[in-house]
Amino acid sequence: MRLGEALATCPSLVLVEQDPARAEQAWEGVLRRLEDAGFAVEPAEPGCVYFETRGVERLYGGLRKALERALAAVGPRLDARVGAAERRFAALAAASVARAGQALVVSDERRSEFLGPLPLDLLPLERERAGELRELGVRKLGELARLPGDAVAERLGPTGHRAWSLAGGGAAASPKGRRPPAEIAEAIEFPEAIDNELTIRRALTALVDTILARPERADRFVRKLAVTAKLVGGGSWRRTATLRDPTAERDRLRAALGPKLTELPAPVTALGLELVELTASRGHQLELVRTEGAQLGERLHEGLRQVRAATGTGSVCTVVEVAPWSRIPEARALLVPRDE
Amino acid sequence: MVANSRSSCAARPAGRVNDPRPALVEARFDGTPCRVDREQVALVREEWRVVDRWWTEEPVDRRYFDVVLESGRNAVVFRDEERGRWFSQRA
Repeated sequence: MRLGEALATCPSLVLVEQDPARAEQAWEGVLRRLEDAGFAVEPAEPGCVYFETRGVERLYGGLRKALERALAAVGPRLDARVGAAERRFAALAAASVARAGQALVVSDERRSEFLGPLPLDLLPLERERAGELRELGVRKLGELARLPGDAVAERLGPTGHRAWSLAGGGAAASPKGRRPPAEIAEAIEFPEAIDNELTIRRALTALVDTILARPERADRFVRKLAVTAKLVGGGSWRRTATLRDPTAERDRLRAALGPKLTELPAPVTALGLELVELTASRGHQLELVRTEGAQLGERLHEGLRQVRAATGTGSVCTVVEVAPWSRIPEARALLVPRDE
Repeated sequence: MVANSRSSCAARPAGRVNDPRPALVEARFDGTPCRVDREQVALVREEWRVVDRWWTEEPVDRRYFDVVLESGRNAVVFRDEERGRWFSQRA
């Protein structure tokens, strides 16, 4: 419909300019909420995201419940719909035909039966190629899937062959969870999954030290920070903490995040820390008498700074004892890069 | 467009400390080492076994030996029963 016709039909129509930045911010909010709920998201385009549920199904009590949690995380305003299947394209097709707020699950046995009657429009095909298929009498995914793959490739080229492959369900590639954006972030990847709280707390301490030393922080104070984790099943986990008074004191940051670690639903393969919001200044009491050892600490930091300047970033590391009780000697401590 | 704020995100892999190093070990028929890195073993001070993580895809099955070499140097070596190779490590 043309704009004039639309305005004539509905005089109270309000024109809204495109706002891609705001849309992207809103989309980022959706992704963040999904990540907060434990899903490792792989955004395909604004409005479309793939995620793996295996890592969180036990947490929420099954696939259906996990999908409902995902819909709840997106919120009711966006009319979200979700499809679940073993294969990526089948899941996308299921989400495309689901009603708003519905979670449609397609089992692998029913995949062909489900995809068969769906229209070709669901395939990422160029208009000419889709037209060519229609001229050949192919209008449904099932009709395309039944054609010999080689013949489709010969007639329609690589894109046609890919469409033929998708019509059969596509590849069973798992979604790759993105790395959530943050102002400043640090992460430690563990050589193996860790579920010991003490170990995770020690890793968090090392992360706090490292992130406070990042030059990008530029002496700013932390208002909001988040602790993230990659779960052993492939999911992710994220909790945020907003501080009443912005601070750059490691003990206060650790105290704010420490209790969150008890909420981890599964062993973690990586632990991350993000400084989500930084503030330029805060009112703080200057110290009248310097604490004991402060001068020694300053000298030590200066020495380390000089070593780093001479040898490069990442050359100075801290040994963090993570599992001193382990019977396997190399599992007792980790070497964590230290920049300060 | 929103600026990519991920540029300052750094994921650093934590390195292992005290990783096992391949060692050249000759063993007797009972599996105890007699030469370590071409040096004769004077004394086997202690022997112990570590079997762990058998429920994972990377099980650990090691037979450790704390030995004194002819030069007087101490060494800890183990035979990785999973891989059938010898390694040295600080225990």
